[in-house]
Amino acid sequence: MSDLVALLVVVPLLGSLVALTAGIVRDESGWAVALVTLAVQAAMAATVAWSVLSGEAISYAVGGFEPPFGIELYVDGLSAAMVVLVPAVALGVLAYARRAGPRSNRFYATYLLLVTGLTGMSVTGDAFNLYVFLEITGLTAYALVASGDRGRSAVAALKYLLVGTFGASLYLLGIGYAYVATGTLNMTDLASELAAVGYASPLVGAAFAFVVVGLFVKVAMFPLHTWQPGAYEGAPDAVSALIASLVSTVSAYALVRVVLTVFTPEYLAAVPLARTLLAATAAVSIVVGSLLAVSQTDIKRMLAYSSVSQFGLIVAALSVTNGTALVGLAVHLVGHAVMKGGLFLAAGLVSTGTGARSVTEYDGLAGRMPVAAGTFGVLVLAMVGVPPAVGFLGKWYIVLGTLEAGAWALATVILLSTLLTLAYFARLLERMYFRDAAEAAPDATAVADGGEGDADGVSTGMYAAAVAAALLAVALAAAVPAYQAALGPTVEVLLP
Amino acid sequence: MIAALADRAYFVAAFLLLGVGAYMLIGDRNLVKKVIGMNVFQSGIFLFLVASAFVTGASAPLLTEPAPYVSPLPHVLILTAIVVGVSLTAVALGLIVRIYEEYGTLRADLVEEVGDGE
Amino acid sequence: MTEITSLRPLAAVLVSAAVIVPILLSGNRPNLRESWTGLAALAKFAVVASMVPAVLAGDTYVTDLGEFLPGVRFALEADALGVLFGLLASLLWIITSSYSIGYMRGLDEHNQTRYFAAFAGSLSAAMGVAFASNLLVLFVFYELLTVATYPLVAHDETDEARAAGRKYLAYTFGGGVAVLAGTALVYWLTGTVAFTPGGIEALTGADPLFARLAFALLAAGFGVKAALMPLHSWLPDAMVAPTPVSALLHAVAVVKSGVFGIARVVLDVFGPDAVADLGMGLPLAAVAAFTLIVASVIALRQDNLKRRLAFSTVSQLSYIVLGLAVLAPTSLVGGLLHIPAHAFMKITLFFAAGAIHVETHTDDISDMAGIGRRMPLTMTAFAVAAAGMAGIPLVAGFVSKYFLLIGSVSAGQTLFAVALLVSGVMNIGYFWPVVYTAFFETPEDSDEKPLIEGPLGGRFAWGRAAVAEADAAGGDAPSDAVADGGHAADGHTDAHGHGDGHAGGWERRSWTGGESTWFMLGPILAVALGSIVLGIVPDGAVFLRVVRLVVAGVTGVTV
Repeated sequence: MSDLVALLVVVPLLGSLVALTAGIVRDESGWAVALVTLAVQAAMAATVAWSVLSGEAISYAVGGFEPPFGIELYVDGLSAAMVVLVPAVALGVLAYARRAGPRSNRFYATYLLLVTGLTGMSVTGDAFNLYVFLEITGLTAYALVASGDRGRSAVAALKYLLVGTFGASLYLLGIGYAYVATGTLNMTDLASELAAVGYASPLVGAAFAFVVVGLFVKVAMFPLHTWQPGAYEGAPDAVSALIASLVSTVSAYALVRVVLTVFTPEYLAAVPLARTLLAATAAVSIVVGSLLAVSQTDIKRMLAYSSVSQFGLIVAALSVTNGTALVGLAVHLVGHAVMKGGLFLAAGLVSTGTGARSVTEYDGLAGRMPVAAGTFGVLVLAMVGVPPAVGFLGKWYIVLGTLEAGAWALATVILLSTLLTLAYFARLLERMYFRDAAEAAPDATAVADGGEGDADGVSTGMYAAAVAAALLAVALAAAVPAYQAALGPTVEVLLP
Repeated sequence: MIAALADRAYFVAAFLLLGVGAYMLIGDRNLVKKVIGMNVFQSGIFLFLVASAFVTGASAPLLTEPAPYVSPLPHVLILTAIVVGVSLTAVALGLIVRIYEEYGTLRADLVEEVGDGE
Repeated sequence: MTEITSLRPLAAVLVSAAVIVPILLSGNRPNLRESWTGLAALAKFAVVASMVPAVLAGDTYVTDLGEFLPGVRFALEADALGVLFGLLASLLWIITSSYSIGYMRGLDEHNQTRYFAAFAGSLSAAMGVAFASNLLVLFVFYELLTVATYPLVAHDETDEARAAGRKYLAYTFGGGVAVLAGTALVYWLTGTVAFTPGGIEALTGADPLFARLAFALLAAGFGVKAALMPLHSWLPDAMVAPTPVSALLHAVAVVKSGVFGIARVVLDVFGPDAVADLGMGLPLAAVAAFTLIVASVIALRQDNLKRRLAFSTVSQLSYIVLGLAVLAPTSLVGGLLHIPAHAFMKITLFFAAGAIHVETHTDDISDMAGIGRRMPLTMTAFAVAAAGMAGIPLVAGFVSKYFLLIGSVSAGQTLFAVALLVSGVMNIGYFWPVVYTAFFETPEDSDEKPLIEGPLGGRFAWGRAAVAEADAAGGDAPSDAVADGGHAADGHTDAHGHGDGHAGGWERRSWTGGESTWFMLGPILAVALGSIVLGIVPDGAVFLRVVRLVVAGVTGVTV
């Protein structure tokens, strides 16, 4: 069973190589390779997750070197969710990319490499190994963003690269401090060694600050989010969906893993400043992210700022460190990934079908593309937190967790964030359903500009992916009680 | 104070590199210089980690040498990190080449101004 | 008191949701589409009605759909209070469906398919509100109701309608957030949110500060839809919606879901005793009393008939809240009985206003002089319902107001009893002019309406303005100026007159239904009749019995 964990990382890596070499033999064979690889990975991920959620956490020593000396792979209830989420979303986006995508084999090789990086980040139990996977994820994400054919894609990718590398480097620096203080890199081992060094030590403080700020860059917390809107906007639609859905999510998971496993809740209890750093950043991100989202005219940029705000919720849940909030965090991580991925896919559908990319161009969309508008509408409502969709459940647990912790200010901000989310999404609903399209004019120009606005360009696969996301956003809610129960042992380990 | 700094000369150098690199990365308008700044920044981190492994009076970690040894692990890690850094630089330069082809300039502010380049 | 496991509550909720798809699919064939609506309405009523006998015998029907959150079941439970609301909404939906058909076709409205689909969705959500077995499930349907009714508010797609829609969403989701916060607090304090007649026991032992906070949040959150001042202003704006929406949703289902939420909170979450112990009854009652007086005053000055009705709704809803907040058993009966009583009367009034709109395109009361000749049956129904609103005996409003008054006085809250009486007088003040102008005036011969046409501030300000005008005119006597003003007002009335047969007075139509289509007349007469039945034989109609059962279950006192 535990070998499967290693295979989870190896399979997409091999798939990536196969896709690259297959390209020499035959063009456009990458999609099929990616499909098979991801299907195999998804099946294995499901097996691993099932065994973890119904039994115990799995630990695997890479190359037979026992931790804390060797690299450990570790899957518990929290990472199990990520392990399943990554191939599942990747498969969904793949269905979308068949017609829409870049189609070259190089694209699919990079795509699978990104999946490798993300899976690696999810399963690793080693702090430095996490850095390596973080960089693999980063590198491939930069390359994928640049695969758009516009000049702006390259600029956005470069900006993403510079800021992203800066964040990863800070993380490495933080790990360096931790290593200097303790002489170990295994996460569980670090936890006990850091405690032995003493939480008051400036080395430990610096390590925490650098690691957390470095990961804030990757998660895109305000004010370190600057790479995100450009990258999402500049990337091809399939890539924005994949990155928006997974990269920040898995980075946020890494943040949770580092804070809870490496530094442990005791550290947050001993150093109130650390907790304040998390809570304050979260609150500011929630509010400012929403306000920036309201002021956007481009749909993808608006969705990007919405992510800034939503990840504020995640970090807020992390900052209070209790079981209820942790459940909410996990639920919202998965739920947000599905919803945001679906929203980007739906936005892609719309821009392929009608050429509409800005808020005003969504006027009367319900008449032009009823299914896309309906999908968008459902996802938007789920995101706002209308019950019984999964967005509501995540929020409910997080609010309850903050109440249990007595963090009143945070609870208020989170509750009000519902209204802030509504502020930028309601206008879209209104435009889609209660305004007529201004004229055919915007369509015509878009078609003339870049050959967009081609209704035939929208394939069944593209629709299926977006609609599946919308259905999942509602249906996942039913799985939450079971997941919460299965998460029990993990919570006990993480929050003793 | 000076003695303390001299003892930790490597660390001082590392943090100078970090500062210089970060300043170039953020402040410079030339895209290539930004990438160089990124490299300098990373070099600072590498130096910091490698220096941290040093133990006064210890020998290289070879079985033929007497104990104590300096820690070999950071060197291995930094080798990995350097590889990562090189590939990052390669991707960055590749992107810059493409940007230069599109916009005909390396100035970040001009590129922003031009916008989509269409 | 046994719990009968049954799918009936679920069926009652889902039956209208299930027809949304057929409605959307048969958009091109209006007759088929409307028959789906009619079918669902009848089926829904049949399901709800089938539960009434057992509920009256003290049993409840439960559908348990599994665990929603730890300690919270996603269950639907048809208890007496739920059946009260469910029966009312499903009965009136049948009538409104018929009326909708006449109204929407009479005006040849656009996008009727979306309208009927959203209407069916709203009813599903309303039924879910009625049969929710705990606060969280109630919240789920409360939010879904907001979503489902939004397309109906913004239906016109004009700037005004969109603005109203935005306001509606902002207000109701804001209320939703408060409800969510209150629910989370209750869950945190007690570990449960299930409705328990007489209140959740653990709440009495909880920290009173947090318990008060939770009550305030819940009352404010539900107060948005119940249009408690100062959270009422979405309701008059939402009158831009088609009249059947105003009638069923903004007089019955949506606003009553807010009131119903408050009832659940007072009766089944906290319980009247705990509310009294926490000292939260009095503030809530004060807000309600304030609302019912102020809204009546505002209603006096509205010239647009639907807006006047909207403010009347704001005022009447506060009767119910007041009855709940006074906490005496008799006033609880009065408050709860006012839910169906007000529903029947207000829906009559809205139906009448809508019929006038469809037939004559007249919306303002000042244009309605003599309209009783043109639409005799409609205006008679209007007069009956208006009389009921004012609390004239033999119509529904009298019975509930009687209980409310007795309850307030017996609870020692004489001040609130006075507020109820004052508001009753003002009810006459704003409804009588409509009836009077319809039957006893003609466009040529109408009295002046100082309340509407005069400047704000009354006689004194009026006098000063007149004096100033007189000075400017060079020393004419003030009385002449006033007379001139009166004529000018007449001219104004005429200038606004439009619609068929209006210029030369309304043509006379017979009392046998020549005034409109029976699709609309039928419903109007049916609900007017309902108001009278409720007024004459309240014990014969099932609602009072259900209400007595609810109050007996909660307080143990049989009224």
